[in-house]
Amino acid sequence: MKRERENGQSSSSPSMASAKGKKMWEEDNGGGMDELLAVLGYKVKASDMADVAQKLEQLEMVMDQEDGISLLSDSVHFNPSDLSGWVQSMLSELNAGQTQLSSTVVDDSSLLISAGGNNSSPCFPQPRIFEDNSEYDLSAIPGGAICKQKQSPVLLQNQNNKRIKTNRSDDPVLLPPEICPGSTAARPVVLVDSQETGVQLVHTLIACAEAVQQENLKLADALVKHIGLLAGAQAGAMRKVATYFAEALARRIYNFHLQDLNYSDVLQMHFYETCPYLKFAHFTANQAILEAFEGETRVHVVDFGLKQGMQWPALMQALALRPGGPPKFRLTGIGPPQEDNTDALQEVGWKLAQLAEAIGVEFEFRGFVVNSLADLNAEILDIRPREVEKVAVNSVFELHQLLARPGSIDKVLDSIKRMRPKIVTVVEQEANHNGSVFVDRFNEALHYYSTMFDSLEGSGLTQANSQDVAMSEVYLGRQICNVVACEGADRVERHETLSQWRARMGAAGFESAHLGSNAFKQASMLLALFGGGDGYRVEENDGCLMLGWHTRPLIATSAWQLAAGES
Amino acid sequence: MVQLVKLRKGDKRSKFCINDNMDILIEILKRLDSRSIAAAACVCHLWLSVARSNWLWENLCFRHVSPPPPPGVRPVVEALGGYRRLYTACLRPVLTRLSRRKRLRPGSGAGGDAEAARRVWRRHEVELSISLFCVDYYERLGGGGGGVRAGGASASSLMFLCEPVNV
Repeated sequence: MKRERENGQSSSSPSMASAKGKKMWEEDNGGGMDELLAVLGYKVKASDMADVAQKLEQLEMVMDQEDGISLLSDSVHFNPSDLSGWVQSMLSELNAGQTQLSSTVVDDSSLLISAGGNNSSPCFPQPRIFEDNSEYDLSAIPGGAICKQKQSPVLLQNQNNKRIKTNRSDDPVLLPPEICPGSTAARPVVLVDSQETGVQLVHTLIACAEAVQQENLKLADALVKHIGLLAGAQAGAMRKVATYFAEALARRIYNFHLQDLNYSDVLQMHFYETCPYLKFAHFTANQAILEAFEGETRVHVVDFGLKQGMQWPALMQALALRPGGPPKFRLTGIGPPQEDNTDALQEVGWKLAQLAEAIGVEFEFRGFVVNSLADLNAEILDIRPREVEKVAVNSVFELHQLLARPGSIDKVLDSIKRMRPKIVTVVEQEANHNGSVFVDRFNEALHYYSTMFDSLEGSGLTQANSQDVAMSEVYLGRQICNVVACEGADRVERHETLSQWRARMGAAGFESAHLGSNAFKQASMLLALFGGGDGYRVEENDGCLMLGWHTRPLIATSAWQLAAGES
Repeated sequence: MVQLVKLRKGDKRSKFCINDNMDILIEILKRLDSRSIAAAACVCHLWLSVARSNWLWENLCFRHVSPPPPPGVRPVVEALGGYRRLYTACLRPVLTRLSRRKRLRPGSGAGGDAEAARRVWRRHEVELSISLFCVDYYERLGGGGGGVRAGGASASSLMFLCEPVNV
């Protein structure tokens, strides 16, 4: 029980638990039994109070979950007046049933594992390798791990406070806020403040990431379990984000790398329908292409990621209705090989051809199946000379994947240059998830995906179909998993910010083509149609458009042309 | 002429039948809003055929658009499913939502659905609606193409325009 005091980590600065303890029971009288509790019939040593408070809090959090009560219903307790004793025994029973508990907490993401019909081992297999060493009992850890966290940005704190909707948002102190003053000293029960657990949750996530970076896997393992508990006490977006990140961390810790890549197209379709990010991407890119093709009679678009081809109907319709009539439109769609060997590209091409025929646009389609964009070059794509046909290259969320293998991106940018395009449209996530330091990457990803999930939740009120929202969350969850759990060539979600892409494109010989006001107007109107109140924001950033949620930009569309002098 | 003469002779029984005067019927229906047109369509087969006609809905869609859309629009819209579908699936929800947004901002007047139909639309709003309409058509093409869609090939790219159902 006195581990907390023995553990050297917590002696340097007040651990969270003892800070709470001190605040609640300032009138401690040292080694004897606490008088107030004794009146109620509980015998607790005053020196153990902080510990007991912590344990009661944990217990309450567990009770909040669906099967918390059922797990405990079989336990028998002797000597109920020994408060600390039976709380401890209940908790140790829970720890034994920990794996069961964790798997219910992460049930949102079970889709991730079983979607492919692949019921492999659950996300938290029994830790045969890592013993649950009592030295790392949870009551000791948060204090030490958090206090080492000198770098925890105030921004994170504020962001959390905003999300948790606290009225203490201007509190810049790194330690979590105190228990709400509503609980008076007379009542010995610890109230679980979800604001506080929210902040605890974030701190624990970061502490776990640090532990993973330091290869301290026992500590990380213990923290991941704690995250599961804390996440259970949360509601809404925060719970889901925490769950996905916890699962990703667990995968990293246990080296469990089976990534289910099935149905990624379906998931992206649901993402397309529930939130405006992809629609924004398509509409703004189309506007840039439309403006670049003004006056041309033969045009060719190369799409680096055709998927379901949802971008092209709108462009074809705009070309059909342009003054002077439509040009001859050629589309080259590129995609990865399919597991079931169907020719998905041809099917999409056929649909687009039907549409083209209906609206009166001369249409030609070609599909290319490649493992990586780096395998392409201008010759394969049958690029016709500049005088005959103008080319546009379009990439929505495709370029960042090339950063996983060194040299790929340069090769691709070079082959784009050889195609002599009139315009290159690039849409990418606005975040730096490609840093070399794991903890920095983790922090960035936590910010980014929290905002994403918030926006899904914010606009969720207007969704008629909550299944769509759930599928979008799985789509994002896969990205989270990739950013956190994978390394090397497997880690393909290597997002970079607009300024990083600008530098890259500039170095490769491209110059920025400004997106006009038409694109901005159309984008603003599109966003006005979506729910979420005024949550979605379009920003113009030196010729590029960024879509974000409140103050945080999330995706960026940019357009490029060959720099003068590149012949 | 004969009918009018009869009326002037003091014949109390009105022999004027609107169904004999299609042009007046058309002029009246042209000025109604979508709900009234839908109600009118339930009267009889003749009214139904008038109320379903494409040009009536085209008129409804672009009645207040300034400047009027270019002539190339008609064949495209008709190919994508017709003006009635354009109106009900895209234009009306788009305009209601946009005008509701404007209403929420300070300084704008109150109004209902009818106001959405009456305000002057701009080119951009029309273009956006037609684009969304086109995406909707493409989704409905489905049928043996377009990869795996869970739960049937129902087009739902316009789902975000639907009003939430309050359960």
